[in-house]
Amino acid sequence: MAIWLNLTVNGLATGMLIFLLAVGLTLIFGLMDVLNFAHGGLFVWGAFAGIWLFARTGSFLLGLLFAVVVGLILGWFMERWIIQPVYGNHMQQILITLGVMLVLSEFIKVIWGPNQLSAPTPEWLAGSWVIGGVVLIKYRLFIILVGLLVFLLAHFLLTHTRMGLIVRAGVMNREMVQALGVNIQRVFMGVFMIGAALATLAGVLFGPYSGVIYAEMGLEYAIFAFIVVIIGGMGSVMGSAFASAIVGLSGAYVNYLLPDLSLAVNMLIMLVVLLWKPEGLFGTKGVKG
Amino acid sequence: MKWEKKWIFGAMIALFLFVLPWIYDSRSTLILITQIFIFAVFAMSYDLLLGYTGIISFGHAMFFGIGAYSTGIGLMRNGETWTALLYALGITVILCLLLSHVVGMLSLRLKSHYYAMLTLAFTGLLQVGAEKWRSLTKGNDGFTFHIPEFLMDRKIFYLFSLLFMIIIFLFLYQLISSPFGKVLQAIRENERRALSLGYQVVHYKVWANVIAGVIAGLSGMVYALSLRFINTSVFAVDITLDVLLMTIIGGVGTLLGPIIGAALIETAHEMLTELADVHWLFERWIILFGLIYILVVLFFPKGIVGTWNEWMKKERWKKWNRLGL
Repeated sequence: MAIWLNLTVNGLATGMLIFLLAVGLTLIFGLMDVLNFAHGGLFVWGAFAGIWLFARTGSFLLGLLFAVVVGLILGWFMERWIIQPVYGNHMQQILITLGVMLVLSEFIKVIWGPNQLSAPTPEWLAGSWVIGGVVLIKYRLFIILVGLLVFLLAHFLLTHTRMGLIVRAGVMNREMVQALGVNIQRVFMGVFMIGAALATLAGVLFGPYSGVIYAEMGLEYAIFAFIVVIIGGMGSVMGSAFASAIVGLSGAYVNYLLPDLSLAVNMLIMLVVLLWKPEGLFGTKGVKG
Repeated sequence: MKWEKKWIFGAMIALFLFVLPWIYDSRSTLILITQIFIFAVFAMSYDLLLGYTGIISFGHAMFFGIGAYSTGIGLMRNGETWTALLYALGITVILCLLLSHVVGMLSLRLKSHYYAMLTLAFTGLLQVGAEKWRSLTKGNDGFTFHIPEFLMDRKIFYLFSLLFMIIIFLFLYQLISSPFGKVLQAIRENERRALSLGYQVVHYKVWANVIAGVIAGLSGMVYALSLRFINTSVFAVDITLDVLLMTIIGGVGTLLGPIIGAALIETAHEMLTELADVHWLFERWIILFGLIYILVVLFFPKGIVGTWNEWMKKERWKKWNRLGL
């Protein structure tokens, strides 16, 4: 019984990290039809920048904050100089963001070297609680907490503020929102920057979780995020949250039962969704080409 | 007139390439050019998707890797005979056919993003699979194997790869000039129009995907034969990136473009690897490739051959205008 509870905590923690990545991806896609293949690159940058500052100053919160700032800056830069010039051309968009992804993860190796770095757990989050014979690792609970906060905040902003209303309307019909006098361009810039910041936040949280960070992890986790976005439906935050939990949990359980199949099981879920409901479980957008 | 000139020119270049090993006998150059031929085939198959049908794949390496692994495993298990090679060929064709068909049926009826994501994910899965299934693949360390005696000679192998490239080139040339090829190009230009004209767009896209997949698998086979060694790097994103660069820099939507692109990129690889001894920054050559790639996509989307063709067309117009026609 205890092992299953532990697996559930692990799975949820992984799911939350993937959710932080996927939420930006899904909103950016929903709003502007841009599929950002460079999202994984942001994840790595967050991890390295945050862990670097954490190692320097000894303050994990400062590292988190720094990663978010790096994400905002990178997000602004990418949106303005890479995505904007190719608006409306899907082919160029997809091709160019993959290029950015590779440049981002290679620059990591230039700055921090090609080897993996170790990422220690901050002292106040190290160790675990033992409740009724079940060992709960503090740091994993912390990740789940942060993920839940982000989810609730995103949900609140989207459903209870004017800004969220505009974003949701933009996902449904961009032209109409624009015709009503909203500067959708600025909205998109904002969403892109926030999405980038969430990706970097996920990166720095991932550091102490896995213990090591390396430049190639960007693509690995981006693939998880893509799977989540396909399962949950492009443009849906709720769908991403739900699908992240599914992917995280099934990964954790299958990893325990049949370790070799852990990635395959997620692919399998994705294939079933694609066959049965190609717009995703919570999809709102048309998906036909 | 124009048409014939083009073919005579092509035949002359082919002839030159056929006699090259006997004129200029340098082992390293021969190996480099052989690599160029192999990657030219791979890039042409990619261009059938990207340039002719307008499908973006981020996992073309999966077919390449399947071809390479079936060759390696087949030759290691069954000994270095022609029969073993034939078996490997059969397995490659069947696996690539099935996989490209499944991936195509799943995602090609949806927006182009889905295909890009799905291929990326599938290739990731295959790479992890190749790492984990150690009893079959020996994991990340890879393994060496022997190839049939006849192909051991570098010159013979050079001729074999050249012939391979020419055959695939002619096949694809026929394909894109056929009614089937014209429909593919119509889909690239305007998918809805093609659909409303009554063409089963998905059907055509899936078949383009299958053909491109099988050819990529064949190029992977020849690649494995040329190295006589294989590891999981054949499934790496780098391979897909290379082939993307070759196609885009050379010129999408042309068959000559990928060949020129392959020559440029492979030569650049070779030079940059040598430069890595000079300065460590050259080890990170992917940055350079990535930046060039971004710039090409932004400012030079037609590539070398495409831009050349456009320029020639303009010149011809000018000439006609001057003549008052």
